[in-house]
Amino acid sequence: MTNFAILPILIPFIAGILLAFTHNRILLTRRLAMLFAIVHLMTMGFLLYKVLVDGSIVLEAGDWSAPYGIILVLDPLSTLLVLTSSIILLAVVWYAPASVSEEQEGFYFYTFVFLLVTGVSGAFITGDLFNLFVFFEVLLMASYALITHGGKKVQLRESIKYVLINLFSSMLFVTAVSYIYAVLGTVNMAQLAERAAASDQPGIITTVAILLFFVFATKGAAFPLYYWMPHSYIVPNPVVSALFGALLTKVGVYSLIRTFTLIFHQQPEIMDQLFIWVGNLTMLFGVIGALASRNIKLIVAYNIIPAIGFMLVGIGIFNHDGLSGSIYYLLQDMIVKAALFLLAGTIAAVAGTSDINKMGGMIRSHPVLGWMFFIAGLVLAGVPPFSGFIGKLLLVRGAFEKGETTTVIIMLLTSLLILLSIVRAFIRIFWGEGEAIKQQTRHSARSLLPAGLLMLFTVFLGIGAEAILPTVQQISDYLLNPQEYIDLVLKGGR
Amino acid sequence: MIVAILMPFLIAMCIPFIAKFKYRIHTGYAVFATSLSIFLYFLVLLISGETETLYRYSWIPSLGLDLTFYTDGLALFFALLISGIGALVAFYSIFYLNLEERLGSFYVYLLLFMGAMLGIVTSDNIYALYTFWELTSVSSFLLISFWFTRKASTDGALKSMLITFLGGFSLLGGLVLLHLVTGSTSIREILTQGDLILASDWFPLIVVLLLLAACTKSAQFPFHIWLPDAMEAPTPVSAYLHSATMVKAGLFLLLRFTPVFKESEAFFIAVSIIGLVTLFWGSYMAVRQTDLKGILAYSTISQLGMIMAMIGYGTEAAIFAAMFHILNHATFKGSLFMAVGIIDHETGTRNIRKLGGLWKLMPVTGIISILASFSMAGVPLPILNGFYSKEEFFSSSWDLSADRAFGSDFAALLANIVPYAAVAGSIFTFVYSMYFYFRTFTGKAEKTTAEKAHDPKFGMLAAPVLLVSGVLLISIFPNWFSRHLLQPAANAVYGDAMKEHSIHFWHGFVPALIMSLIVVVLGVLFYITRKYWMGLYNVLPGKLSGNIVYASLLSASENQTKRLNDRIVSGSIRQYNAIIISVISIVTLLILFGTNSFDLRNIDTSPVSLPQSLPELAVALIMIAAAFGSTVSQKKLTAVIILGVVGYGLSILFVLFRAPDLALTQLSIETITVVLFLLCFRHLPEIKRERKEKLSKKITNIIIASLCGLMMMLVGLAAYSQRLFPSISDYFVKYSYKLGGGDNIVNVILVDFRGLDTLFEITVLAIAALGIYSLIKLRQKEGDR
Amino acid sequence: MEIIMIVLAGILFGFAVYNILQKQLLRIIIGTALLSHAAHLFILTMGKLKRGSSPVLTEGTESYSDPLPQALILTSIVISFGVTSLLLVLAYRAVKTNGTDNMEELRGNDHD
Repeated sequence: MTNFAILPILIPFIAGILLAFTHNRILLTRRLAMLFAIVHLMTMGFLLYKVLVDGSIVLEAGDWSAPYGIILVLDPLSTLLVLTSSIILLAVVWYAPASVSEEQEGFYFYTFVFLLVTGVSGAFITGDLFNLFVFFEVLLMASYALITHGGKKVQLRESIKYVLINLFSSMLFVTAVSYIYAVLGTVNMAQLAERAAASDQPGIITTVAILLFFVFATKGAAFPLYYWMPHSYIVPNPVVSALFGALLTKVGVYSLIRTFTLIFHQQPEIMDQLFIWVGNLTMLFGVIGALASRNIKLIVAYNIIPAIGFMLVGIGIFNHDGLSGSIYYLLQDMIVKAALFLLAGTIAAVAGTSDINKMGGMIRSHPVLGWMFFIAGLVLAGVPPFSGFIGKLLLVRGAFEKGETTTVIIMLLTSLLILLSIVRAFIRIFWGEGEAIKQQTRHSARSLLPAGLLMLFTVFLGIGAEAILPTVQQISDYLLNPQEYIDLVLKGGR
Repeated sequence: MIVAILMPFLIAMCIPFIAKFKYRIHTGYAVFATSLSIFLYFLVLLISGETETLYRYSWIPSLGLDLTFYTDGLALFFALLISGIGALVAFYSIFYLNLEERLGSFYVYLLLFMGAMLGIVTSDNIYALYTFWELTSVSSFLLISFWFTRKASTDGALKSMLITFLGGFSLLGGLVLLHLVTGSTSIREILTQGDLILASDWFPLIVVLLLLAACTKSAQFPFHIWLPDAMEAPTPVSAYLHSATMVKAGLFLLLRFTPVFKESEAFFIAVSIIGLVTLFWGSYMAVRQTDLKGILAYSTISQLGMIMAMIGYGTEAAIFAAMFHILNHATFKGSLFMAVGIIDHETGTRNIRKLGGLWKLMPVTGIISILASFSMAGVPLPILNGFYSKEEFFSSSWDLSADRAFGSDFAALLANIVPYAAVAGSIFTFVYSMYFYFRTFTGKAEKTTAEKAHDPKFGMLAAPVLLVSGVLLISIFPNWFSRHLLQPAANAVYGDAMKEHSIHFWHGFVPALIMSLIVVVLGVLFYITRKYWMGLYNVLPGKLSGNIVYASLLSASENQTKRLNDRIVSGSIRQYNAIIISVISIVTLLILFGTNSFDLRNIDTSPVSLPQSLPELAVALIMIAAAFGSTVSQKKLTAVIILGVVGYGLSILFVLFRAPDLALTQLSIETITVVLFLLCFRHLPEIKRERKEKLSKKITNIIIASLCGLMMMLVGLAAYSQRLFPSISDYFVKYSYKLGGGDNIVNVILVDFRGLDTLFEITVLAIAALGIYSLIKLRQKEGDR
Repeated sequence: MEIIMIVLAGILFGFAVYNILQKQLLRIIIGTALLSHAAHLFILTMGKLKRGSSPVLTEGTESYSDPLPQALILTSIVISFGVTSLLLVLAYRAVKTNGTDNMEELRGNDHD
């Protein structure tokens, strides 16, 4: 039973390795990839069911009990997130043949994709801080391979920046882990939490926590560390952008949620304000970038940033509604961002350019594409009854409960500006004059299905929120009470 | 009831299929039938006197969001308005829109709107209300831009969307606060806790947020600017959304919460002033318009302002008058819009300067227009309902200081000024009404328009004729409407304590009548002399127009943001790194010292005994020297080799500090790395003398680098010196052999205790290898997608 | 002794950052190599230095130097090696394709 906990990383891992061997037979590779993606999704569905019914699953890798060995924890939060990533994996693998060239597919494309997901899943479920670093490196290395995949001029240019920034933050990460080890004598997250709580809240823990905050905030593209993100996310193939946009920054946010609710909620007066203000600025500057862009892919990429801001604010609010809001926002944003990147990729492919000022009137030839994009925009802006609204409502409520009126105003203003950025793009691309583009319609029809699948999930997360929301609210309570996690992992005593 | 409210949505889903047969039967008939049956349903409900009905469906209980619909007098009043006007508009649109248009989309949007509007007025749940509220904004956006190839349409749509969503989002804030203060999401329950809300610290913010929502939706000054631009929509849409229903949603919202707000003096002050200013400004601006729909748009703004002012008064008489005027406005303004649609349809222009003398050509339209516009002007005739409600408006303004006691001097003063402001604001209403009618229907006919213009066929006239007969009916039987429709609605707002209102044409020479007469006399005077004072418009609004503000904001949102963003996200990795590193260093240092955590109490500060530590010290010095050397070296080969020295130094340190495995690994890896460096660097250009580098830049870099190094050093020292807990390593030492079966503890940790790390460390290497392979081999053509 | 090592690591960190802030790609890569050395030295120091013998179990030895940081460093060294090699090849390809190794000339704009 507990061995199930390895599956979230094992399935994509095996898939990645296997697909490396079949790389010359593209048709087989594609089918296998689809198969693995579906198996992964179904396994995760099953595991989520198990976790919700029977309680969290803890696997002590190699049978070494915590805190000495590495622990994999399938609790509702991590399982839900892995499930969400498996949905995205499926959409991405499905979409890939429509957009990735066969040559690229032959060059281990799917291997990288699956290993990226391995790293992401591992980061979600690991209960060990150093192991988190290792999984970060797995996903980063896979992302380096994917971002350069194809080797075009822009790709090489932007990927250097991407690699450099991430390399710096990785080194900072590993050093910070060693600092925390010096202070608390362990790297197991549950034990860190226990010891941090038992300590007298010394400032040094806060200081090291700040270093880790910056590490995760860099990965999560928060202000003022987001510069590297927008341009590097749009240079690879749209499929890869979707994968990045949906998963990578979110791993950073997840790590913040996990470590800062569990371990580092020391000196909340500093921490909460830090999160809230970084969140506020992230929202504003992110949306400024989105407004400033004329490139459809870039607009989507910039829109990742304000969403990160929303989630950070939720962590800073640190109450039931705030954390529920953050988690809900995280879940739905993963899906809608993946969908948006796929849609933007299709738009750019159909129009033959990504400059929105050069497009126009596309609604006549591509109505489905247009309306999906429009609805995705409404989701982003948090318009009810779509999923963005649910998260935003919780965040607004949480912020008011905490008395953070300024933050509420910034959140609402940001929503408005997000709406402006997307609707303006929508108007320029789909409305107005401009002849209908007839070419390549086949291409777009084929690539619409995966995006459609994702959109379906988004709409479901809005209208059918009741299916997920109680779970998210339980998670929020569970995060507010770290003892539960500690007991789960450390089994109450050593 | 749920069927009645959800019917528009259900039919909307079927519309695309129905629209396939549009050449056989116009899609509008389906919509007409839908709205008519909803209207009849609510009518039956009204007549049966069964005003209070309830339907409840739990939607997202975890959020407090459920679909609870109930009808009281107010909801019923609005529901009848929405479905009734909706039916007429749908019927009218059948003749207005020809079959080549995208009828499917049009009617889907229209039905979505109708359903959402019904949802707003019947929802008991605040979040459900909000959901429907935003849906009206979205459908309005889609309807305004129905002719999406025109830039004016899409611009107007964007403007209306931005402004109404600004209000929408602030509505969300206000509603969430109401939820937090009262602990309930049911409007009925919230209303019972008025005292709690009034006493709450959040109350001022709640008022501001809800007012912002109401003012943007109901086009109040200074947010009115979207409404004139929304006139790019097809005329049935203007008649329906932008005069009869959607713009009244803001009024509805305030009416809904009036039981709470009417106690607040601040609310009175704010809403009355906004209302009166809008009344004045709207009518003033209407006179200037040349587009017939423009006149009507500003006129709508002005009339909405008037109703808003009455809601602000909050007295019994005022609330009743507000209801009355909402009804009347829907009749006369709806018919005027339809008349304009007919004129546009027949003559091909809406420019009032090109029109004239239509009376002879289209007499039926003329009759419709004269009745409706005179009613709008408040001409004292017993057959014009506009006069009745304007009279009520005047009398409620006049009686305000008598009907309501005020605490603050300012409020009392305002109450005394109100009647004068009401008169002043109404004069221009009279002027533009006259202007609208006489300029279009009398005088000389233009040659170009005269040729083809004539009254349209009966179908197109039917809806406006029905609406205008509404004007007459209400005027002839005001008390029937009052008893069955207005009184229950006002009761719902004001509470059942309200006394019965009867409406009469003749009250004697009361102040209200005198006020009306003043308006008529001055209005006529202004109308005749308008040539002489029209120059005023160049001064006011002149450059103060809200549109200029909006336009500059919109362009700033595109251009200023670009300028700013380009500066931040410049593409220079160097700048990114500089900012990122300095932020991290400075903030961390601040926290380190801010929390007083730099404390070296436990560190071994005893001086290092030289002879023993000589090797370490020497290696350290060599490493520093090498790091410095590789930094300043001007030859790439030298730089790389000196860099190797640092790596080898590190492995010596590993040996000295009893880490043999590390030393070995470091040694071999360093060697491979240096080789790799050399291989790749052969192809990289030689290091350039950085002569172009500015000294200031260099110094900045040095400062950032030292800050970062210092930060890492200090945090490291602090962390090292505060070892709060014993390390878990003792366990490894203890059990390495017993459980792990190995002497070399590090190896046991790697392959056993932390085997997962090692597995994925190898994975990283494998990915790197594959990645490098594809980097070298896979070269796609540029521009290839 | 720890103080000295921490100071040394801090100085290396500083040099690394200085190199990373240069224009030339070569310099930047040298910076990243220095960075990983500094980080590893930090990790090693955070366990206690020279307080025991090598962490290889031998008869009669009571105290060993802390094995856990060593294990972590080993993992980290291997990973850094992977990243550095990829970065090197990437740099080589980027310089070949873009025709410059000056990062200030590799800024790009919105539409390429």
